Amino acid sequence: MAHTLDVLGLFDNEYRDDGFRTCSVTGLEVHRSVDNYVKLFGLTAVVALLFGGIFAFTVAMTRWEVIGLLEPADFYTHLSMHAWNLLIFWMVFMEIAILYVGGPMVLGRRLPITTVAKAGWAVMVGGAVLVNYAIWTTEPPNEAPLLTAYVPMPVSPLFYAGAIVFILGTVVAALPFFVTMWYEKRENPGKTLPLVSFAAFVTSIIAVEALVGGLFAFVPTLFWRLELIEWWDAAWYRQMYWIIGHGTQQINLVAMIAVWYFLTHVVAGAEVVSEKVSRTAFILYLFFINLGAAHHLLSDPAVSTGWRLWNTSYAFYGATFASLIHAFAIPAGIEAGRRKRGKGGGLFGWLTSAPWSNPVFSSTIFSIILFGFLGGITGVMMGQLQLNMTWHNTFATVGHFHATVVLGTTVAFMGLAFFVIRTMFMRQYISERLASIQPFFYSAAMGVAVLMMMYVGILYGVPRRTAEVVENIPGTEFSLSAAAPLFAIFGIFALLAIAGGVLFVVVAVGSLVFGDRVENGDDNADLVADGGLAMAQDPDDPVHAYEMRGTFVLCLVFLAAFAITYLLNWYLLTQLWSIGA
Amino acid sequence: MPSHSDADTTASPLESVKHLLRQAWRDLLSVYYANTPIWRLFKSAGLLFFGFFCWSASSLVLSYGIDWTILEYTRAYGFVLILWGPLTHAVIVPLVIRLRRTAEHPVVRAIARNGSKINLSVFLAIVLILGTAPISPMLLDFQSTLENDSGSDVNPDLSCTRSDGVVSCELSESEGVDSVVVISGNNQVTRVEEPPFEFTFREDELEEVVGQKEFVVELRDEDDDTLRRYRRSVASVPEA
Repeated sequence: MAHTLDVLGLFDNEYRDDGFRTCSVTGLEVHRSVDNYVKLFGLTAVVALLFGGIFAFTVAMTRWEVIGLLEPADFYTHLSMHAWNLLIFWMVFMEIAILYVGGPMVLGRRLPITTVAKAGWAVMVGGAVLVNYAIWTTEPPNEAPLLTAYVPMPVSPLFYAGAIVFILGTVVAALPFFVTMWYEKRENPGKTLPLVSFAAFVTSIIAVEALVGGLFAFVPTLFWRLELIEWWDAAWYRQMYWIIGHGTQQINLVAMIAVWYFLTHVVAGAEVVSEKVSRTAFILYLFFINLGAAHHLLSDPAVSTGWRLWNTSYAFYGATFASLIHAFAIPAGIEAGRRKRGKGGGLFGWLTSAPWSNPVFSSTIFSIILFGFLGGITGVMMGQLQLNMTWHNTFATVGHFHATVVLGTTVAFMGLAFFVIRTMFMRQYISERLASIQPFFYSAAMGVAVLMMMYVGILYGVPRRTAEVVENIPGTEFSLSAAAPLFAIFGIFALLAIAGGVLFVVVAVGSLVFGDRVENGDDNADLVADGGLAMAQDPDDPVHAYEMRGTFVLCLVFLAAFAITYLLNWYLLTQLWSIGA
Repeated sequence: MPSHSDADTTASPLESVKHLLRQAWRDLLSVYYANTPIWRLFKSAGLLFFGFFCWSASSLVLSYGIDWTILEYTRAYGFVLILWGPLTHAVIVPLVIRLRRTAEHPVVRAIARNGSKINLSVFLAIVLILGTAPISPMLLDFQSTLENDSGSDVNPDLSCTRSDGVVSCELSESEGVDSVVVISGNNQVTRVEEPPFEFTFREDELEEVVGQKEFVVELRDEDDDTLRRYRRSVASVPEA
């Protein structure tokens, strides 16, 4: 039966009389309400991705000064549009969809209080439009805020209002998830949540913490900007702002890992090697991940050295430890699960025999690899008091968060979008080949672009947020023109990465509009792991009986890369300070 | 059935180490010759990234004035690997494998039999040559250029005082500055074309932002391009 607001048949699935259907891929009981709202939030996220992606082009072509597309004044406005639409709106709309997948869908429940979900979506969209409008119409004396509308910098009051509305909308949209959890625990008080639901729940707690921090930052600042209060404390603002400023990125991280567990299980036959260990890692995130925000304040005068040391050299490692657990647990789960299915010849046969032509699988694996090697290692280094000084506010920082948020989260979310197209929108890809190529093309191009960002930042100290540095720093003898060759590589690969992003939108939207309809379970048979998911629940064949030496070798490679990069950065720091000279 | 390691648990430690090394060598060879599309892609992309890393990291350490000869060779290794890694695993190894199956001419068969050794030898020879005599594309330039013909650094101090609602400002030096413009909000408050660039304006000409009057002083060159910007709030300007 078609949904009352059906558009292009996108909300038209076959449900039983009770409103549920059985997913032919996951075997989950999916209610119409879950389908519809996951689609609604997912589609909105893709619109934000498209919009922010347009500004990726103008921003990258300005920083590649051979092109030098925009004037400095326009550059910051475009950069702000790029950042808000991709770092916030694309991510957060997807994350609400993930909460609905991890909650009611995995638990086989309907989505409660759908009116609230609808209201939350409407308020979020309103907030997003308002923020975009405020940034785009910025005029002096106001400044485009990027993500750091630090007091006392004057920013349009509409921007703060839009941000507050968006935050409130997100909280409202998350309420049905919390109600689902409440119902689930009330009806099954002694039963543990499935791992993916547990991960989604941890995500939601971190999200609420971040969002409340956002309200603490933006509400008084709006009052100050409207001149209802005369003065606001800049140090307080920065401290509160970074709870949401970095916290939203931690939501991305935890949501991404939930997606990793979910998709590797569904499309690659991964099993959870140890539920307890994986759950413990999520709990470590709950307590420690937000301390990562501290790295933004390490060069601030307002916080004490003790505060910096605690946040960056002791407690922060709780989150690092959690990430290292996941870095082992997920590939180990894939290896053991695939060996169990007879797909694990040799050291890496389990990996090379995997369904690489399936974009859901390849997106997920590229997300894991590139996040770990490029985003994770640099994140730990930047999160450390001493090494932060060599990275802070250079273009390398931009490289770091593109490695985490783009190569990690965005690539994983693209994989999830590919999955949703087949299993919830019930559409075949318009082109299997293009869909297969997209994760390879996008990840490779973005990977090189990200490396170049890190290199020009670390090798040359090229600053972030400026329109031009290589060709011309007005009025100064100082020049960074030596960085031009690496900037050329950056520019070319940024263009290729943008083409990869366009390819994703073309395949995703094209499939929704023009893709053949998935009529029965056989049409999606290629998404199911070898041997079927039922094998995972065989109590007589425990997963830990299978060897995981391939994963062990991969972890050793990762450890070596970590150690070399870490030592190199420390060594350079000692040289900078001439310690022992 | 679960698979188990075939190592004999009663073997001596020496035997175990030998077994481990033999297994590691076999694994290494199997990875080197693995020839499915995904393996070719993995190895090519992995070596490309590793090459970039070796090249840039060595260049970076060398740029700090650390004159270790080994770094010149790791730099050359990384630089060559960027191309040679993908070339080896996307082209040469598959070609060698195919020729081993199909080649009939004795010379081609000999080349196929020793193709990997020849490839590695050529690669190492290039690394040694470029490590000893580097060519310019592999040398990243870390010296910031001091563009002497562009004139001196323009960075004068701006000092302002206020008295009876009038703000007075002056620059510590005027060399390289063609004009000075004072802006508040969207409005140009004043423009000064002549050195020594001392200027005054009234506080009530300034726009108020979040309870403070603020102004921006821009130093411009002869093309009217901005050289330096100074942002001041009136509240922070000391009384004369």
